[in-house]
Amino acid sequence: MPGPALFFSTLMSDEAKTIARGLQKRDPDLLDRLIEQYQYRLFRYLVYVTGSRERAEDFFQETWIRVLERGHQYDGKSKFEAWLFAIARHLVIDWQRSKKAQSLDTLTDPEQEHPLQLANENDPSPLHQILSQETQENVQSSLQKIPAIYREILVLRFQEELQIDEMAGVLSIPLSTVKSRLYRGLEALRGALQGGAA
Amino acid sequence: MKSGNAHDHALHLIAQARVEGIAEADSTWLRAHLGECEFCAKHASQTDHALRVFRTVAISLPDGLASRTQFRVRLRADELREHGLGRKLLWTIAGVSWALGIASAPWVWRAFEWVGHRTGAPKLIWEVGFVMWWAVPALLATGVVLAIWNGRAGEPE
Repeated sequence: MPGPALFFSTLMSDEAKTIARGLQKRDPDLLDRLIEQYQYRLFRYLVYVTGSRERAEDFFQETWIRVLERGHQYDGKSKFEAWLFAIARHLVIDWQRSKKAQSLDTLTDPEQEHPLQLANENDPSPLHQILSQETQENVQSSLQKIPAIYREILVLRFQEELQIDEMAGVLSIPLSTVKSRLYRGLEALRGALQGGAA
Repeated sequence: MKSGNAHDHALHLIAQARVEGIAEADSTWLRAHLGECEFCAKHASQTDHALRVFRTVAISLPDGLASRTQFRVRLRADELREHGLGRKLLWTIAGVSWALGIASAPWVWRAFEWVGHRTGAPKLIWEVGFVMWWAVPALLATGVVLAIWNGRAGEPE
């Protein structure tokens, strides 16, 4: 007798195939539904990656335009959200490259001592703008200390709950790199929140 | 296992358990170690606390983000549909003109031959004329298609 895991797996696979068929046809109703359904998760991901609410908003719209244009490339064999995040990530990296001739990774690699660059240092920190509740003030400043490259991997694993192989697909990096980033990210998170919110 | 190594191993397992999971035997060993090591137990507790806090971080959505995006996506979908229709029309015209060109080729050949005889033009001249009759429109069409192609580079099909 098939277990619940198999049932949900089949259900998700059917959903992914339905989405793939709709995207092939550029079904506007499907896109409307997907935008509603994934708005929070995509926006959150973009905020963690870009560190800026305004940029995240721009990339959010561009990502869905790209989903419309490249929808025929989604085959429904993987989770839709993994494909969606990969598209969003590529847009951000393209933007970073055009702006600074550097990839997101090199720009934010803590070992290269390039902290996340904010648009205007006089403005309030982007994460401060995003996390408006007073009770989260300590958390915001703590998360600000974590490099974007680790914030990204943490959000994919511990908020999106993607599997490691799915994350490797989104980030276009080997499994071993995903794991090493996760370990470092987790340590950075523990260290940051220990000094901030903990 | 030496004490220092035991702590290192425990710290590694604490992270591994949260990142990719650990085997039952490792889990049992870790539980036992955490029961007797205050330092590692505190580390595990801090890690769990950090993850709990991280998972509860809330981000507010900008007002009307979804509706604005839906509007932009629909506009772009309309544009793509129009471009798609334009492309279909172009291909249809190209196909029909090729079919007509091939079908009418024998008559056009005879017409060029007749004009060549009437004007006394050398055979090579009216044969070149016939080839030009075929080649020039095709070259122009290719130029137009290439211009459109370049203009829409990066655009989806």
